[in-house]
Parts: sequence; C-alpha cells; structure tokens
Amino acid sequence: MNSSSEPVVETQNLTKRYGDFVALDGLSIHVHRGEILGFIGPNGAGKTTTIKILVGLSRPTSGSARIAGVDCSADGKRIKRLVGYMPDKFGSYDNMRVREYLDFFGAVFGIPLSKRKRRVEEVLDITDATYMQDKFVESLSHGMQQRVGIARTLLHDPEVLILDEPANGLDPKARIEMREILLRLADQGKTLIVTSHILPELARICSTVAIVTGGKLRAFGKLDDVMKSICPRRSYEIQVSDAADFAAAERSISELLLTDEPIEASQAERLFRFPTARSEADLSDILKRLIMGGLPITQFREVASDLEDAFLTIAQTKVPS
Amino acid sequence: MNDGFGWKNPVLGRELLDRLRSPKTVLTILAIAVGTCLLVQLRWPSDSRLDVVSQSSMEVFRPLAYVLTLAVMFLVPAFPATSLVNERRKGTLALLLNSPLRPWQIYVGKWLSNVILAMIMISASMPALSACYAMGGITFRSHIGPLLLVLLAMAIQYSAVGLWVSVRSHSTDASLRMTYVAVLVLSVLSVGPLAIVGNLSGGAGWIANACTALSPLSALQEITQSQSQVTDLGLSRGWLDFLVATSLVTVLFGTLTMLKLDPILMDRVKPIGKVTPKGTAYSVLRRIAFLIDPNQRKAGIPLWINPVMVKEFRTRKFGRLHWLLRIVACCIIVSLALTVVSATGTVSWGVQRIAAAMVLLQVGMLMLLGPSLGASLIAGEVESGGWQILRTTPIGPIRILTGKLWSVVWTMLILLLATLPGYIVMGYIVPVMVGQVNNVLISLLFVALFVVSTSACVSGFARSAAVATITSYTILIAFFAGTLMIWLARGKPFGPIFVERALMLNPAAAALAEIQAPGFENYQLTPWSWWVSGTISVLCLLVLAIRTWLLSRPD
Repeated sequence: MNSSSEPVVETQNLTKRYGDFVALDGLSIHVHRGEILGFIGPNGAGKTTTIKILVGLSRPTSGSARIAGVDCSADGKRIKRLVGYMPDKFGSYDNMRVREYLDFFGAVFGIPLSKRKRRVEEVLDITDATYMQDKFVESLSHGMQQRVGIARTLLHDPEVLILDEPANGLDPKARIEMREILLRLADQGKTLIVTSHILPELARICSTVAIVTGGKLRAFGKLDDVMKSICPRRSYEIQVSDAADFAAAERSISELLLTDEPIEASQAERLFRFPTARSEADLSDILKRLIMGGLPITQFREVASDLEDAFLTIAQTKVPS
Repeated sequence: MNDGFGWKNPVLGRELLDRLRSPKTVLTILAIAVGTCLLVQLRWPSDSRLDVVSQSSMEVFRPLAYVLTLAVMFLVPAFPATSLVNERRKGTLALLLNSPLRPWQIYVGKWLSNVILAMIMISASMPALSACYAMGGITFRSHIGPLLLVLLAMAIQYSAVGLWVSVRSHSTDASLRMTYVAVLVLSVLSVGPLAIVGNLSGGAGWIANACTALSPLSALQEITQSQSQVTDLGLSRGWLDFLVATSLVTVLFGTLTMLKLDPILMDRVKPIGKVTPKGTAYSVLRRIAFLIDPNQRKAGIPLWINPVMVKEFRTRKFGRLHWLLRIVACCIIVSLALTVVSATGTVSWGVQRIAAAMVLLQVGMLMLLGPSLGASLIAGEVESGGWQILRTTPIGPIRILTGKLWSVVWTMLILLLATLPGYIVMGYIVPVMVGQVNNVLISLLFVALFVVSTSACVSGFARSAAVATITSYTILIAFFAGTLMIWLARGKPFGPIFVERALMLNPAAAALAEIQAPGFENYQLTPWSWWVSGTISVLCLLVLAIRTWLLSRPD
C-alpha cells in the first residue's frame, strides 16, 4: 500500500518525440492518492500523449512514468490492472446491452462469473447507471455513455482512473452528475487524472492542476497555488451609483493608481476595473481617499480570477526554449 | 435540360467531379481498357484458314462480352451502395434535404452520375469491341449495339438498386453487402425458378419467365449465340425482354428511394433494447421466429470461453447467431430439396449436376458471409474505438485474434454443415459418391479457410470495415472469378495444363472437379489445390498474427 505521502502517479522528465516533433518535453508531475489532477492544455499540447504513456499505449522516448511504483512502459500487464482508462472515444459495440458490455469487459479482466455479476451491479450503482442496464449501448445519449464508460473503468477496481475529456459534449445537468461521480470516486480513495476543455468544470473538482502547452509543463501544483503564481495581480472593480460625471470619476481613480494599473471603464455598467499587485493596506487607503473625494462608490471588490484566466495567461505567454 | 436533370444539378456536378478526380476511377477505366484489349489479343486467331461462319470472331467477342458483364456487375454497384449511407453518416444528407433541392433532384443527381460514369467505363472497351467488329462476322446491330444496351441497362438497374439499399442501410459495409446480394439475386438467382420448374405453362411459368428476364445472362446468350448449360435448360430470353424488365426494376427502385428520401429519414428512433419477458407466449413466439431470441437477456461469459469470441457473436452487424441459424435452416431445406428432386427424377439433371449446384450454393454462401465477417474483425474494432480499449485490458493480442477468428470459423463450419444432410442423402442414393463427397467437403473447408484468412489479413491493414470489406471482396472475386475466367477460355488461348494449374489456385474449382461437375470432369486438382490454398491461408494468418501483435504494442 502506498501511503498518502507517496505519489501514486509520478512522471519524471517524460519526453516523447515523433521524429523531429517533440510531443512531450521533460514532463514531471506527481499525484497522490485521492487527488484529482486536472490536466489542462490546448489541442496538441501533449495531454493525450502523456495519458497514452501512463496507460501503456505509448512508450516514452526518455524519462519515466510510474503508477503505484510500477513502470508504465516496462510492466504493461500490471499497469493495465492498476489503471482504468476512459478514452475520449467511447468504443461502443452494436447490439450490446449495458450489462452485457460490462460483463464482456469483466470477462476480459478475468473477473470470475460469480463475482462479476455483483461487481457489475456495484459499478452501475456507483455511476447511477443501474436503470440503463438493459438498454443498447449505442442507443444511449452521450452523457449516459460517459457514465457507462466510467463504470467500465471501475470494473477491475483500479487505483488510478484516467479520464480523457469526460465532460465533453455533456449538457449542464449531465456535467453536474459527472462532477458528483468523480468527487465520490476521489472520496473513495481513487486517484483521478482528468483532462477537459471545460475549465470551470475542472476548477470545481480538481485539487491539483497541471497546465501543458507545446509539450512543456507550464504550471503544476495545488489549484490555489497555481492561481496565485500565474495571476499575482488581482483584479478589482469599483462601481459608482451616479454615472453623470463618469469622466471625472475615471480621472480621480487614475490619479490614485500607478501607470501599470490600466483602468477598463464601462459607463453602461458604471464600473471601473483594474489589475493591481498592491497590498490590502494600499487598497484600503485608495478606497478611503476616493470616498473622501466625494465619489459615490457603491461597490469596491476583488474579482475572483478563475482557471480560465490562468490558462489564458499561460497560453498567451511564449513557451520558454 | 432543366436544373433537376441537367448539368446544373449541383449533386450531379459534385458527384461526377469527385469521382472523375479520383485516381481509383482513372485506374479502373484504364484497367478495363487494357484488360479487354489483352483479352482480344489473347483470343486473336492465328489460323490462316478462311472463317466462313465467323466462328473466330465470335470466340473473341463472347468472352469479351462476359468479362464486360462481370466488370459492370462488380464495379458499378459499389458507388451507389455507399453513396447515400455515407452522406447520412457524415450528416451531409440532412443538409441536402434541408436545402431547396427536391428529393428527386438529389436522387437523379446521384443516379445519373453513376450511370454516366458506368458509360465512361463501358466506353473504355470500345477499342476491343472495334477489333471484334474489324474481324468481320460481328455486326453493330446484332451484337455490339445490343451488348452495349444490355451493359447500360445493367448499370442503370444496379445504380437504382444500390441507391435503394443505401438509403435503407445504417452502415456502409452492410449497404455494400446487401447491394451485392441484390445484384447476385437479380443476375444469377433470378434464373433459378425457370431452371427448377422448366418451361411450364400458366402462372408459375409466367413468373419463372419474368424472373429470368431480370437476368442479363439470358440476354447475353442471345447476343453471343452461346450454347451452354443454361440454354440447354431453356433459359434463353430475348435481350429486349431484359431491357423491359430492367426499366421496370429501375422505375420501381427509383420511386422507392425517392419516397424514402425525406427529412423524416433522419428522425429514426434508436432501438432502446426491449427485453422479452421469459415464459410468456410472446417469448415462445419470438423463440420460434428467431431460433435464438436476440431480445433475451444474455448470460454472463464464463472464463473458460474466449470473451472476444462471444462478443463477436453477440455484436457483429452481419452474421449474428439468430440470422445465421435461419440461413442454415434455408440451406438445409434447399440442399435436401435438390437431392430429393434429383433422386425422384423430377428433373433429369443427374446427381453430379445437383451436387455441383449444392457446391455452388455453399461456395456462394461462404463467399457472401466469409469476407464480410473476416474483413470487419480488426478493421471494425479499430474503427469503433474498441481496439484502443482492448489494448488497455490484460487480454493479449493472440487471445483477441483467436477469439475473433474462432467466431468466424464456427460460422463457416455451421454453414458447411448446413448442406451435409443433402450430401448424406446423396451418398445413400449413390454409395460410390461417398469418397467424392468427402473430398468435396475437404475442398469446401479449404474454401472457407482461404476466404476467412484472406479477408482477416486484409482487415489488419484497413482503417475501416467498409474499406476492408470492399478490398476483401475484390481480392477474392479476382481469385475465384479470375481462375474461372481462365477455365472459360480453355482450349483457346489457354491449354489444358495452364488451365489446370490456374484452377489449382481455386479450392472451389477443386470441389467442382471432385464432384465431376460439367466442364470440370477432366481436371485432377486435389490434393495440390488443398496444399496451395492451405499454404496461402497459413501465410495470410501469419501476416495477420504479426500485424495484430504490432497493432497491440505501445506506439
């Protein structure tokens, strides 16, 4: 058993080259038991390459990837039992009911028939998919298929679940249900690696994030730490009650701010927005002087930056050579 | 010409341009031109004596006519068969149906483009046909003109049938399969009723005659003045009858397709998977109708059975067990019926001819099912995304491959056993034939092995089941029909030794030779034919095993 201090998933200087093209360049990450890692990056960033190496579908050019201490490229057989992988393409079979589909994969994993029936019921229950057990897999909606996909990955009770775009194409209700299922699995001690383009969705469930662009790891760590490191300048909003003398108000605020704190003004919203790295005391002082200057302020607040901002900040930054 | 029929029809323009730009089309046209010219060259008379009855020119013209007929039969239906089903799968049919284009305009655009392309392909044989004309004895009015009309009529008919199958199908490979079955029924099996009942009078005779008119075989015999087994049976019909029958079939299938081309086509309810309750009268009825009720809940897969094999039986689109058992039941009935009519003297064909019919029936079944099942083994799995998932499971490539192969091998064995009752009855009637029947069954086993291994090998290299299916059918038809074409040209230009060696490549010919089918009596093809087909099959399986291993390895 791994203790919670030992990472369950660990990559060190993972590199993958296809000829001259570097798909992955020295990726080093580690994920602990019960954590959900949000793996973020634009298309072609190297997410799927990393996942393929982790599940044993691809071999790294250099570096190593280990799951529960097992080398992913050297011991593919053990990795297959340690990992449950859900690719972005569902891989359904025609004329097969959900129960038969799960039974087939149970047989493929060598689960004895006597235990398999119970296990299928368990995974259907975990994923709230019991009601669809007699439906044909190909007739299910995308959201339902994703749930069956997760049920399939759970059949052999793997330590690590790797889910490629599980929320892709889901409606809001299905996304909420998917989120609940993933959080429940993490509570049960499963380690999850989840890729998604829907970043607010990831932000709600991930404890750790890894942002990759151009095959390089650009940010990695606890979600809050990453946010702080990527977005040190917080955004603030000032709203005024009266837009009559909006230009004068803008002038007053500009005088108090520094030149690298550009103001975005919206007269329709009676709102001023500016990024700043000032301390709380400085900001308190600015607020006090604005009120004393007669500005009719109704709100002075920090705008919470989200994962999308962080991702965009990184995506817009040039990849270091 | 108005917008619907003319060049301004956007569907017609796009389809024609697409296909004329394709290298495959150019290669096909070139192959027809070169192939037909080569055939004329091979059959060209070297005898300097005067040919007063035009026998020599007819000997050149006749195989050319049959080769062109085969080319139209195999090449023309492929495109319409995939046309509408592909558009629907890609979502472009919905866009077309939501455009101001009327369904008949879409239909005409697709149908006409295929007919025009068929005309171009047929016209590639003009140099060869002109050579026949130049020899003398072959006239445009009595021979070349009618032949071109028959070929054009076939193209028109097969295009209409292909589009009809395509509009009703859910997948490309299913559409291809069903179209070729329809072409086989229209061209070959349609002569069956008359062959069996003979020249009867009254309603039955009229129906049998009408069915025969659907086949181009009788029209071709009239044009090429063939005296063959088929004419002996009284099947010769005028080519004008064929043109009338073809027009009717084209109008019928065209109307059905246009009626089906409706936006409602996209509004199909997916089957949700109703389960038949056990022990009810309904479940008993379904059990009788399906033999194995597909709507029953399936039991779990025991660990001692290869799960991939069970999965294949349960999920494949074509050849699912309940359909397979129905086909087998039909084969048993047909084979017994053929044997009984032979034994009771209902038809005076002789046991050899009946046995030959049974061999052909079985080869036809194996050729129809085998490539379709074999070609989707790996390609279908890769296309559906299932292969990637299987790669992440502990099941090894050899177990996956053996599971998949066994699912097809069992199917083939069941099909082979289907005509066993007929052979047993035959052996009872003519005891001396037992040895021959044994050899026939062994040859048929090799046919099955050859078909499965070749198509499975192709499957390992294709990215989609449809491509694998087309390629497999093309290779196998070239193999089986190609050697039979050499057999047809026996005597001139091919000598008996060359024909025998060519037939050794074809295990179906070995079965026909063993049963002493008419025309095959003088060939001794076994056991060499078994060695040849066995070696090719083993090589194909070896290549497939290596390919599967490579596909399952990490990238």
